[in-house]
This record gives sequence, C-alpha cells and structure tokens, in this order.
Amino acid sequence: MKNKKHMEQEVDKTLNSLEGLQRAAPTPFLFTRVKASLENDEKSRWTLALAFISRPSVAFATILITLFVNAIIFFEFRSESAQASGEGEQLFANEYNLANNNIYDSTIEPE
Amino acid sequence: MDEQILIEKLKQGDEAAFKQIVETWQNMVFNTAIGILQNAEDAEDVAQEVFVQVYESVKAFKSESKFSTWLYRITVSKALDHLRRKKRKKRFAYIQSLFGNDNQTIIEKPDFHHPGVVLDNKERAALLFKGIGQLPENQKIAFTLHKLEGLSYQEISEVMKTSVSSVESLMHRAKNNLRKWLTTYLQNNE
Repeated sequence: MKNKKHMEQEVDKTLNSLEGLQRAAPTPFLFTRVKASLENDEKSRWTLALAFISRPSVAFATILITLFVNAIIFFEFRSESAQASGEGEQLFANEYNLANNNIYDSTIEPE
Repeated sequence: MDEQILIEKLKQGDEAAFKQIVETWQNMVFNTAIGILQNAEDAEDVAQEVFVQVYESVKAFKSESKFSTWLYRITVSKALDHLRRKKRKKRFAYIQSLFGNDNQTIIEKPDFHHPGVVLDNKERAALLFKGIGQLPENQKIAFTLHKLEGLSYQEISEVMKTSVSSVESLMHRAKNNLRKWLTTYLQNNE
C-alpha cells in the first residue's frame, strides 16, 4: 500500500519535473549557418539545372526536337516558296502571252 | 522593430530584417525542435531548415495568423519530418543487420537532458522525456508545446489547426499514457 503510494508520488514528481524549465538556446551563429545554407541552396539549384541539361537523354531529346522543328520550318518554307514562284511564272506567261503553246489555240488571221 | 514591419521588410528581401527575425525567434524554434527531437544537433539542423523556409516562403504568409503560430507550425512539421527520416534510417539499418550487413552498428539512444531543466529535476526530466518519446505524434506535439513552450490550449489548437476540445483530449490522453508508461518503467526498474 505504502509502496503504491510512493510509486504514485514518484510518477507525479516525474510528470511535474518540467516545471520551471528555461528555454534552450542554440549555439551562436545560427544566422550565419542559415545564410550559408541559403547560398548553398542557390548554388545547388544551378548545379541541379546543369546536371539535368547535361544528361545524355535530355541532350539527345533536345537535339531531336531542334532537328524536328527545323525540318518542319524548312519544308513549310519550301512549299510556300514553290507555290509563290509558280504563281509568278503564271503571271509572267499571261503578261507576255506565252501561255498558248497549243497550235490549235492560235488563230490565223485571213488575208 | 514592430513584427509587421519586419515581415514586410523580409518580404522585400531585407537581410537586416531577416537577421533580426532569426535572432528574435531562434530560441523559440530551437526549444520546440529539441523537445520533439530530443537531440541538440538535430534541433539545430531543424532550426536552420525552418529559417530557410521562412526566408523562401514569407511572401505566402498572409498575416491571418500570428507570425509565431506560423513559425511553430513550420517547426513542428520539420521536426516530425526529421524524426520520420531518422526512424526510416534506423529501420533500414536494422533490416541490414538482419541480413548480415551490419557495417552500421545500431547505437542505443542515450538519455536526453534538456539544458533548461532545473538541476534537482534532471534525472526525473530525462525519464519523462523518454516517456514523451513513446507518445503518438499528436500527443507528443500538444504535450511539448504546452510543457516546454508554455502555450495555452487555445494557442496549441491554432498551431495544430484543430479545436480546443481536441487539444484537451490530446493532453488528457498524453498524461494518461505517460502515467501508465512511468508506472511500468518504475516498477520494472525498482
């Protein structure tokens, strides 16, 4: 009985052992550490970005995309210019009446 | 300087304001972290992470809650993440040791002595911290914020984003669990 009471008292004392506790303080220069960490973060972001770009898969994919875009632009431009030059020739032929190369189309004026 | 002005200056990237914020709140952040982690070095690492996050995300702070509440939230969340990471590592080391790759020896955690405890209570407080370490996360947070930081139940409910009655319930369960654990511990070590 006495032992049980003693045990309860000991538990209560332990539960109250944080009374009067003072706040713990970190070691000095926490701000310097935080600042250094922020600078490292900035550097590591660039390092990560460079590491990502220089990955073979990323580099190869970038080259493929560039070639693909170039090809699209090249063929688009070629078809446009071909169409444009065709129109020009037609205009030129019409202007100088060069389009009639069929003998039956030409009229012979009677004397 | 006024808290609101400091925050506004920090939002503009003022380094002097940031320095003042770190110096004003470092003890609060460190004390909360050390209470949860029960390790001074880990608490320093977490305090550092907390202020890095404060610097990076202060623009997202809308002043709807108190700055200290926001800081407590970040500290608690970072400390819990740290604790989980540590537990994962410990589990991994244990599994490795089962397969014979016991290069890393598992060291039993020594008793934690909070630097702010009154000398007479040193041994009892170390035992109480051991018990706090066994509590579920939510109970541990509520108990630590109340006993170590002296926060009221209302303030704890704001930090934990819960109701005051939930905090009361958490504290009640935490005390009961600690009482049971301490009784068993003292009986076995008599």
